[in-house]
This record gives sequence, structure tokens and C-alpha cells, in this order.
Amino acid sequence: MITDKELDFVRKALDMAARAGAQHARATLSLSEEDLVATLDGEVDRVTHCADRSLSLALFVDGRFGSYSTNKLDAASLEGFIARAVAATRMVAPDPLRVLPDPARCCHDALTGNELGLVDPAREKVSPADRQNIALSASVLASLHGSQPLQTSGCAGPLPLLAQTGPSLLRSRLEEKMSPCRGLQGLENKPACWLRSGGAAADSAAPTEAKYQIISEEGEYSDSIYETVVMDTNGVCCRHSETSFDYGVEITIESEGEKYSGYWWDASSRLAELDAPACGRQALARAVGQIGSAPVAGGRYTAVIDAEMASKVVSPILRALSGYAIQQNNSFLMDSLGRQVFPEGLSILDVPRIPGQTCSKYFDSEGVATVEAPVVEAGVVKQYFINSYMAGKLQMAPTVEDATRPKVLPWPCAGLDRDAILRRCGSGILVTDFNGGNSNPVTGDFSYGIEGYWFEDGKIVRPVSGMLMTGNFLTLWSRLLAAGDDARPCQTKLVPTLAFAEVDFSG
Amino acid sequence: MNPCDRFGVSEEQLRALVAEGLRAGGDWCDLYFEDTSYHDLLLRDGVVGSGGYHVDYGCGIRVLKGEKTGYAYAESTDYQSLRSAAIAAGSIAATVAPFRGGQPRQTSGCAGPFPQTTSAGPSLLRSRGWLRSAEAAAVSTPPVAAYYNELLPWEDAEVAGFIPFLKRIEAGIRARDSRVLKVVAILSYSVSDILMYNSLGELTTDHRPLGSISVQVIFQQGKRTENNTVSRSLRMGAEFVSDAVLEDLVSRTVEGMDARFEARRPKGGQMPVVMGAGASGILLHEAMGHAFEADFNRKGQSIFSDRMGQRICRPGINILDDATVPASRGACNYDDEGVPGQKTYMVTDGVLTSYLHDRISAGFYGVAPTGNGRRESFRYNPIPRMRTTYMESGPDGTREDLIASVKRGIYVDQFANGQVKIGEGDFTFFVKSGFLIEGGRLTMPVKDINIIGNGPQALADIQAVAGDLRIDEGTWTCGKEQSVAVSCGIPSVLIGNLTVGGE
Repeated sequence: MITDKELDFVRKALDMAARAGAQHARATLSLSEEDLVATLDGEVDRVTHCADRSLSLALFVDGRFGSYSTNKLDAASLEGFIARAVAATRMVAPDPLRVLPDPARCCHDALTGNELGLVDPAREKVSPADRQNIALSASVLASLHGSQPLQTSGCAGPLPLLAQTGPSLLRSRLEEKMSPCRGLQGLENKPACWLRSGGAAADSAAPTEAKYQIISEEGEYSDSIYETVVMDTNGVCCRHSETSFDYGVEITIESEGEKYSGYWWDASSRLAELDAPACGRQALARAVGQIGSAPVAGGRYTAVIDAEMASKVVSPILRALSGYAIQQNNSFLMDSLGRQVFPEGLSILDVPRIPGQTCSKYFDSEGVATVEAPVVEAGVVKQYFINSYMAGKLQMAPTVEDATRPKVLPWPCAGLDRDAILRRCGSGILVTDFNGGNSNPVTGDFSYGIEGYWFEDGKIVRPVSGMLMTGNFLTLWSRLLAAGDDARPCQTKLVPTLAFAEVDFSG
Repeated sequence: MNPCDRFGVSEEQLRALVAEGLRAGGDWCDLYFEDTSYHDLLLRDGVVGSGGYHVDYGCGIRVLKGEKTGYAYAESTDYQSLRSAAIAAGSIAATVAPFRGGQPRQTSGCAGPFPQTTSAGPSLLRSRGWLRSAEAAAVSTPPVAAYYNELLPWEDAEVAGFIPFLKRIEAGIRARDSRVLKVVAILSYSVSDILMYNSLGELTTDHRPLGSISVQVIFQQGKRTENNTVSRSLRMGAEFVSDAVLEDLVSRTVEGMDARFEARRPKGGQMPVVMGAGASGILLHEAMGHAFEADFNRKGQSIFSDRMGQRICRPGINILDDATVPASRGACNYDDEGVPGQKTYMVTDGVLTSYLHDRISAGFYGVAPTGNGRRESFRYNPIPRMRTTYMESGPDGTREDLIASVKRGIYVDQFANGQVKIGEGDFTFFVKSGFLIEGGRLTMPVKDINIIGNGPQALADIQAVAGDLRIDEGTWTCGKEQSVAVSCGIPSVLIGNLTVGGE
């Protein structure tokens, strides 16, 4: 992977850019390798081997800017590529605000790439047979009933504990790859639902007496290593390396002529911490929990959003605090810096540098050092995400370009999990999965399809589907009832179970 | 120029790689070479101040054992890298793989020896420097098609010439609406050269241009702000950058903004929905198209798995997935398995008549592949995907007739995204704009609402189909495991009952 040879290659690329006419440049070399075994109904269905490499260049030429990438990395191809890139950059308008970040703000302590301890040497020893064994042993069908469709009834069994593992910097890509989501999007709005990654387990109190048949089980195990190095002509050089072990499974069942599906996944930078077998049980429990689901009468109810899906209502806040959104007036949080626009119960802290926790990283894509910093503190917006370019545009001090590992802090007390929040809330709708929807970045209006459970007296009563949750993010957050302490550490954003009062549901 | 030359491989090496892939016992091997360049230019704050281009090059090798897939790729096309990928992909044959389906079928148009370089044939192909051999063409049905042309090759175009075009878009928008606060316009274009070869000896090449422009505008009226985003995407060359496209984008950007500022959330609930012609084709993509993709049916996951040959909607309704719509974002001369582009009727006169097949599912079902084996790039194995999905025009008059027939409901015409749960059949789509229908007339504008329904129920509940089919030309991308360019279309239709989000 990244050795002195690759580092030398990146330096040469910067030299080529300089010789071609770039006054400044940033080069990012990324290498990755991934092996994957997919199963269908307890049999190996697909094996893949991937090895990727790419060089990205940000060029600053005569006051102009362009960004380029290629995976043709032989010397002759690269030289031609860079010459063409410099020429292309000269065609756009000058923009004096395009600059490399101040070296004083950049990361200088990511020298080996493994400072965070995110590389598991065990990956080198994983054989193709090991991968198949992991994938097959995680299969509910293979482990319990061979590979034949299963006729069964009742509960899928005790709910597994959520694996206490960490995710990787590849998480978003892998979540997307493993997602069962089938969707269509226009370019206009990136639907937040695009990376659907399943939901919380069906509650053991949910009705599970119906007979059902497992129609299919699709599982996918993968292990990968990702390495990157960022260098610029100001002397910045920082590296990041991370392994990732992932398993996701979707189970489809049929009961009384209706089909239901459940999905679950786990991930860790360490193989020993991956709990693949638990995923199948969890996915089955989620599918079984939805048997007989139907809409309840539309109305204004308390909404409890399970930790697995709760980032859906946090991500729009982070996007709205992006310097690009602010500069373009494309944000429902314009002029919010330093103001209390959320209730005191909302605090979001970026914790990018926790060793051993995947998704931690020492630097952003500009090479700027990440720091632990409040994003929202007791309802007050404390930070916009402003890269070097936007700093000039907005005439503001630069920060980092995005939150690396945002964490929603517990409120009103520590230690609340989903069940405790359900008890506090009494009755309402527990949202365990979103089905499509989107939000307006300018107004903060949103509308999402949901499924989950109706709960009363803190206990789940019946499954719910085919409903919509509609509102405005500022209004929604002003009605925050509780933020739990149960975020899944394998997720990119550490968002716990959340509860809100008086949310509009239609069905 | 021999098509292999672009990738630095010989015909003998292609045969050797296939043999290597099959050495461990595989039934099928195919190679997918890709050389793609992607360019973009960005206008923001009144200047075209950044641009870029990106190169993606490599070869994916797939080996099948029954329905099982082995897949690997190389980003270098030197023989040793390719051979390593072939061996990795071939390892699937070493896994436990009971044979359940049939052999992948020879396609209806690609069999034959390697094409020879020739100066004969249509000018389009001559301009590429090669042509399928007469022998191969003789068994080709349909013949080599060109559903997209590149009259002005992007590679020959002067990038500098696009800069004033983007500026004219901004100027046109600002001239038509004084409320414009910010304009962002992005022109992007890509050109992919593809070479496919498989263990039947079929060799196929394709040259795929794609141009896209998206425009996002922020409007301010008093203290309120609103946004609007429009896009246009077509498989063609630099002739795409035209006054006609500019005028279309400018018009649609400012169109309906008065209503957008007045729009409110409706009272949510179940109600009739009239879907306007064009982009409402998202209904077909989400509610039906995915459920008709044969991989989901082969695995028993789709809600339509056991309904082939059954009536699923009223007589007279025809729903297609079509690779042959000229210049459409979903057009395919060949799919990514080398199967010729074609038109596939999924629903004929209200009856489910075909799934969308790749070679694996076609072998499983014992039918010919339908040309739906598509992939995002050489990094991905092909799977059944849609192309341009639409419903043919119907006999029920005009859009206005459909609206007039609704006592209380909603009319929708602009969308952002959608999603479906395959097993349950529950689909959603996000509506950017529309109107309430009250007493057969459009009244209050609405926006930013999600609509949810169930595929089979919605199909069965299509009560009227107008005669105004329109294929949308927006920048639609389908995200089933991989991102693939598609398109959709529909005439105005009335659905009796869907659930509309609201307050």
C-alpha cells in the first residue's frame, strides 16, 4: 500500500504540476483494496476482489483553480494529464480567494497514517476460505436450517445486543454499497434517504405470533483497507490508514401473502469486533416485527426516532451549517452563528480524534487538522464549516470543511436508551425506518415516509407502515423531548434515540 | 483502428483471459473495458471560477458458475494485471455452487468472430475507425444501432466556449426574475469508450457521450427565500450546448416561482393524485420498474414475483423500459453485457408480460436477455437495471380532463427523488411542487411533500391515462447498489388513492 515509493510518486506529481505552470497544488493519493463475499439463501452467491487507486489534484494556476483526478498513474499518462489539467485551469476565470490552507492550520501529526490505531493486521491473514466461512456462518438459513426456505412461526428469537464496535472511514461508501435501498434521484436534491442502513430491532414486545416463511436472505461480508496521503506545495503531508470489516444482511419473509423485509449491519475496523451472526437475527426480527403493519390514523403524535435512523434529522443541520450553503443562502440556518436557534437540550460535539474509533480522522480533505469542537452547544450554534475558499468568500475565519464525527450529547440526563425514552414519552410512534422523502435546504421543511411501531404506556403495541412524517426542522427540534445515550458507534454520526413532541403524521 | 488497441490488448489476449477466467470451472466469462473522461465547469457568484476533469480507466472481469458471480477488476490493462483479475474472478467456481439455472444465452446480435477494421458502413461507425464485420452483422438482430450520436465530439470542443454559455444562463434567469439572489450552474459531460468480450466470442464496442447541465437558483422575496433546481441531460455531443437547451433551462428555472412563494403544506391524508406528464414517470420507476427487475423476482423478493402473465392494471395500459429513445439519458446501443439495446414491454394491455433481465436472470428464466444488464463502471458487475421507463399514452383525454374529474385531491408535476421497498412494494416520491385540486380545479400551490403508496395497489388504481406522454430529460440517476443514468416518462395519469404528507 502506501510506501516511500508512493510518497515519492505524490511528490513527483506535485513537481510535474509546478513544471507545467501551477504555482500551488495539492495532491491526494488514495489506495484501497477490498474483498467481498455475498451470500444468497445460505450459499455463496458472489465473490469480488477490488483494488483501487486514484490521484486527485487541486491546481492553482495564475490565480485560477481546477480539480482533477485520474487512475492512469503511469508516468507518461500522468504527465500528459497534468499538462492538460493546467491548460484547462487557465481557461476559467481568476479567483483570488482560491488558496491552499495556511500551513499553521494543517495537520502535522499524521505521519504514519496509523496514529489512531485503525489498522488491523488481521486482515492480511484473512484467506478466501475465511471470508466464505464468515459470510456463511452469519447466515440465518445456513446456520439453522440449511439452505432451504424456512417455514416457521413466532418470534425470531431473543434480540441480539448491538455490537459495541467502531466503524471506518469507508463507512459511508460501504453503508451505501450494502444498502438495500432502491431509489431514484434527480440531480436537484440528494435525498437523505440514499444511504439507508436499516433500523433498530423489532421490539421483543411486538406481536410475533404470525406464521411466516423466509423468502430470501442476502448477506454480504467484506474486508478492506483504505489508505490516503495528502500533500501540498506548502509542505503539508498527512496520512490516514484504516481497515474495515463489514457485514450486512437483508431478509425477506412472507406471511399471509404479504412480504416484509428487514435489514441490519455491523462494521468495525477490527475483525474480532465484528458480530456478523447477530446481524441475521436482527434483520429477521425486524422483518417479523413488521408483520401485519398498517397505518394508524393521521394526527399529531410524539415521535421517537430510533438511534439507527436518527441521523436523518441531524444531517440536515450539519449540511445547513456548511460554508457553501451559508454563502449561497441555501440554508435554513442563515445568520445562526452564535445564536440560540435550537432548544437547550441540543448539543452536538465533533469528536474527530478518538483513537480506535473508526470514522475518526486527523485531517480533512484540505489537510486541515481536525479538532474536538462544539457545533451546537445548549442550542447555540457555535460553528460553521468553512474551508479555505469559503473563508475568503464569507470573510470569516476558516474552520474545517465538515464535521468528522459529530456526536449528539444526551439530554436531559445521561444513560437513556430507547426503552427508557419510550417510557418517558408514554404513547406515540416509534420510527425504526424511513422510506424515502427529502427536505428543503432553504426552508428546513421536510417530509419522510416512515415505518415503525405505535406505542402506548411506553410499550410497543403494533407495527406501523405506510405513513408520512412531515414538518420543519426548526419546529421539530424546538419540541425535543429527549436525546438518548445509545448511539451506535459503528455509524459515522453518533446520534442516539431522539424524541420529539407533536409531530405531524399522515396515513 | 482495432478496438482492442485503445486498451492495449490483443484479440489473442482477450481469448486467453477468458480461458483463464474459466480455468477453475466457470460457465461464463466476460470482460468489460472502460475508458471514461468526465469534465465539469462551475458557475457561481457570476463567474466560471472552477472546472475539472477526471479519468477512469480499467477492466472488469466476471465469471459465472450457474447463477453465482465472481468479479474482479484491474485499473491497468497490462496483461498480468488482467490475468490476476481473471483468476480472482474465476475463483467463484471453487465455491460450493449448485447449478440451478440455464446457460447464459447467446444474444441476438453479437455472435461471431472479431470485427475487422474497415472503411465501409455507416459514417458514424467509420468515424470510430472500425466496424462490426459483415459476418457478425449478418447474425445481428437488430443491427448495430445508434441511439445516440456525437455530432460535435466533446473531445474536440473548446472548453473556453462553454464559459459564455453558462454566463448567458445566469443572465437570462436574472433578466426574467428580479428576485434572483444566487445562481449556480454546472455543465458536465463525459465520454466513455467501452469494449466487451465474452466466452461466446462476442465482441462489442460502444461510444457513450453524455452531457448534463443543472441550474440551482435561490430567490428572495421580502424576508423569504426559496430555491429551484432544474436540469437537462442527454446522450449527445457538444451540440447539446445550444440555445434551445439554454432557453429551456432559463424558462423552467423561473417558471412557477410565484406559486412556490405562495405554496403551503396541504392537510395530509389519502386522496386522488393527478400526476403531470413527464417527470411523474418516477412513479413507474419506483412503484413498478424496480419490482420488475428480474434479480428481485429470481430471488422471490419482489412483490410481483409470482404474477407473470397476470393482469395487474386495467386494459389498455402499456408500460415499457426502452433503450431506444434517441439521445435519452437511458438510451443504450448495448447494455453492459453486450446485449443490443431494445424496447421491453413490461406491461402489455394491463398484463405483466416481461421482467427486466440480465444474462443471469435470463438464463434462470429460460428467456433471452432484455438488454438490462447495466453497471456504474468497470468496478461493478452488471445487474438488471432500468433504462428509460415510461407508460404509453392513453385514451382518457387531456391533463385538464383528469384534473376536472377530481373533487378533492392533488396535482403534482415536479419531483426530487423516490424510493421503494421491493418486498413490501411500498414506494415514495418527494414532490417539489404541485397544486391542490378542489372542485375539479387547481387551487392552492403545494410543495415539499412526500407521497407514499403501494406498487400493485397504485397500478391497479390507475383510473385514467391522458394522451400526452412526455419523456423527462432531467438528470435522473438510479441508486440500486450502483449509480446508473436513467430516464423516465409518463402521460398525465389519475391514481385513485395515495397517501400525501401534510399537516
